[in-house]
Amino acid sequence: MNFERAKDHVLRRATDRGVDAEVLATSKRELTLAASGGRVDEISHANQGGVGVRVVTGGRVGYASSEALDATSLDWMLDEAIENAGLQPPRGAELPTGGALGRSDLLGEGLSAAVEAKGAAVVALEGALVADPRVDVLYLARYVETETEAVLGSTRGVDGGYRNGFAMLMASPVMRQGDSVKQGWDLDVGKEFHALDPSRTSQRILERVGRHLGAAPLGTGRYAAVFEPDVTATLLRLLLFSLSGKSVAEGKSRLAGRLGDRIASASITLVDDPTLAGGLASRPFDAEGTPARRTPLIEGGVLCSFLHNSDTARRTGQPNTGHALRSYASTLGVGPSNLVLEAGSGLTLDDGVIVTDLMGVHAGANPITGDVSLQGLGLRVAGGESRPVENFALSFNLFDLLERVQAVGDEVEWRPGGGFGMIAAPGLRVDGLSFAGA
Amino acid sequence: MLRPATAESVLNTARRGGADFAEIYVERWRRRTLRTIDGEVEEAVSAIEQGAGLRLFFGTDVVYAYTNDLDDAALAELTQTLVRLRGQGGAVDAAGGGGLDLRKRAATGLHAPSVAFDALPKAWRLDRLRELDAGARIDPAVRQVEARLLEWEQDVTVANSEGAWVDDRRVRTRCAAVVIASDGDQTQTGHHGPGLSVGLELFERVDPAAIGEHAARQALVNLWARPAPAGTMPVVLGNGFGGVIFHEALGHLVETTSVARRASVLTDKLGEQVASPHVTYVDDGTTPHGWGSSEFDDEGMPTERTVLIDRGVLTSYMVDRWGSLKTGYARTGSGRRENYTFAPTSRMRNTFILPGDAEDPGDLFAGVELGLYAKALGGGQVMPGSGEYNFAVKEGYMIRDGEVAEPVRGAMLVGKGPETIQLVDAVARDLTTEPGMCGSLSGSIPTEVGQPHVRVTRIVVGGEA
Repeated sequence: MNFERAKDHVLRRATDRGVDAEVLATSKRELTLAASGGRVDEISHANQGGVGVRVVTGGRVGYASSEALDATSLDWMLDEAIENAGLQPPRGAELPTGGALGRSDLLGEGLSAAVEAKGAAVVALEGALVADPRVDVLYLARYVETETEAVLGSTRGVDGGYRNGFAMLMASPVMRQGDSVKQGWDLDVGKEFHALDPSRTSQRILERVGRHLGAAPLGTGRYAAVFEPDVTATLLRLLLFSLSGKSVAEGKSRLAGRLGDRIASASITLVDDPTLAGGLASRPFDAEGTPARRTPLIEGGVLCSFLHNSDTARRTGQPNTGHALRSYASTLGVGPSNLVLEAGSGLTLDDGVIVTDLMGVHAGANPITGDVSLQGLGLRVAGGESRPVENFALSFNLFDLLERVQAVGDEVEWRPGGGFGMIAAPGLRVDGLSFAGA
Repeated sequence: MLRPATAESVLNTARRGGADFAEIYVERWRRRTLRTIDGEVEEAVSAIEQGAGLRLFFGTDVVYAYTNDLDDAALAELTQTLVRLRGQGGAVDAAGGGGLDLRKRAATGLHAPSVAFDALPKAWRLDRLRELDAGARIDPAVRQVEARLLEWEQDVTVANSEGAWVDDRRVRTRCAAVVIASDGDQTQTGHHGPGLSVGLELFERVDPAAIGEHAARQALVNLWARPAPAGTMPVVLGNGFGGVIFHEALGHLVETTSVARRASVLTDKLGEQVASPHVTYVDDGTTPHGWGSSEFDDEGMPTERTVLIDRGVLTSYMVDRWGSLKTGYARTGSGRRENYTFAPTSRMRNTFILPGDAEDPGDLFAGVELGLYAKALGGGQVMPGSGEYNFAVKEGYMIRDGEVAEPVRGAMLVGKGPETIQLVDAVARDLTTEPGMCGSLSGSIPTEVGQPHVRVTRIVVGGEA
């Protein structure tokens, strides 16, 4: 069976059994080309897709999914979903009512170039990197393109679909100068293969990793800090946990109950915009079929909304912002699309530390409490000069830090947001931050 | 899942297209996840995952493709696509056209479960999670208890153009608790999550109430803890999950995934003293019912026990097929992958430091004037090129005048693995192992980490300055 027929099969069976059901079918095609020694040495080609069902019966919710599309597997899936729903107490859950959402193409012909041209791009990237004598080893140099299709339907009338995709170049070199060894990575991503530029990507990677060579330990103490956009994006990914309506509904968000309060410096304005023209994470509707719209989250430091799907909105009594996120195999969640921290008036630093990298976020940061203790790399700025510093740990509380932001950079950089989202982040300045080093 | 004739056709098509070696990997998973918060079901999910991965070698170049569609026609098309992408579509090697004498091997049941996947009703599972929840309620400060039960059943078939055919079944069950404790001012969390290659008889080996209590105690210790100081000091690493530091800072550096690319600082160091003589480090895929055990690896080779470091001397790398081709070292049954969407790479299985000669873990604290006891560690990260690592301390105490003193929270250990492993100056005898999920190029896979109590003479501790 194909996805359309599988969706119709499951919805028909659900109707027969008297339960409400929503079927999300997604498929992904991915091509990866890796270069080494001046040629493409690794090719991978992938087709993956499946069908997920969310069943609602008597105010209870159950999920199941299948990558096998035969009737037996689809029926096992629906049976398990109904049984899973039965484990729960009635919670008043319901499937949102929706309508026809049409079929959209957000990708067009951006990936239609010949595979040879894509191979040449990654070979050019690899060549430009290994040509730098400081590059000791190139850990990876890759071209990746992804094309996705989603089909959504429910017994409550939702019916829609869209196609999207992107192309990216990424690399991770190990660079050496004397005894100093540094590894780093970076990527460029866009909807058009032809907009990628291997020489621009390689130059930026060499600059970003190379500037850390010869790094010396940083003395323990308090310094004025400037976070580069990459680091700001890392902090925003952490903050998203507390901005998620799911965390609010589960009692895990420190920001719960603070709508309308000043939670950050007045220079902080954060918006999620799935309607952004050309945005890599733009989408016509969310995973439940709620049409997309722009959502301000923090305006001038004041908390004005969380990210919600229909379920978290109902449980918290707040408006649904259309941020349902789910793959066929996952349960209903919440996620951003194009998350934009708006640029400010610019940054200066005469004496302090530019923090360029933060590592170990999955272990050294507690999203619930906001306590962060992370390993960093950076540049010590003093007396009109800057020198690389390493092997230090940075400790702060995220919520405290937001209130202490003194200035916001005047340009944003787009970075991957985790999940399907993208983040536009400027640099941030915070004074008197605690650094633990040698 | 896979018919021998289909496998033979796919493998022969690949060989005729110029591949030196072809391998087809087919799997079907059934998974269940049940998660409760404060005893009520928050999530109940079931899934079938099924797919095939096709890997072709052209010399040491690798091409990989995967699909959910296991029809003969779909697999044939996938094979053709790969051969075409490789750009050698016309180069037919007549020698590859012969029949394949597939020699079948099946698992002997070393890690087989005693309770079948469909044996017990769902309500039985929910009862166990409610026991966990009740076990965590040891103090009024315990505010929220999350309990999670994971059940995995994976059937795997691997066939290759050398005529190997392997059928394996891996069944794993894990039960985990996350406890949030709050005194109204501070909020802290505690975790505990035992798991093994077993079915629901996991609960005969581990009392669910004890899982909850363990996590709750950790949360309460953190609640009462003071912020950790920053600085460089001696560190005693707890047994069990304390071993994650060497998993990250040493284990990943001896996988051929990085060694063959010369991207590890331990490349070309066999026979050299790379660690303190107190350290003997083993990666063992054969531990019965171990969380990271299986009878065969994901390349169809029987797993084995590999001594990586013997009293400080590097004795072996972890070697997969590609790594073996690149380096010449013999394969060690270490080719692993999360699922069919990943080509296998060299990975850890159950990795631990063997017991040392300190009779009593208490001996490790003696003589430490001021240090950190990192009793439980969280996850960590390492850059394989430089060996730089970082770890969060989930449960920590100061060591003062040779004794374990007050609890501290928020500590992070920062350093370079190859330096830290040289600085081990004492190892106790209380080896235990714990399950974890390890992420790398071939995805997230179950591995055990373990060690006895280990003392390191100095590590940079990040805390609050």
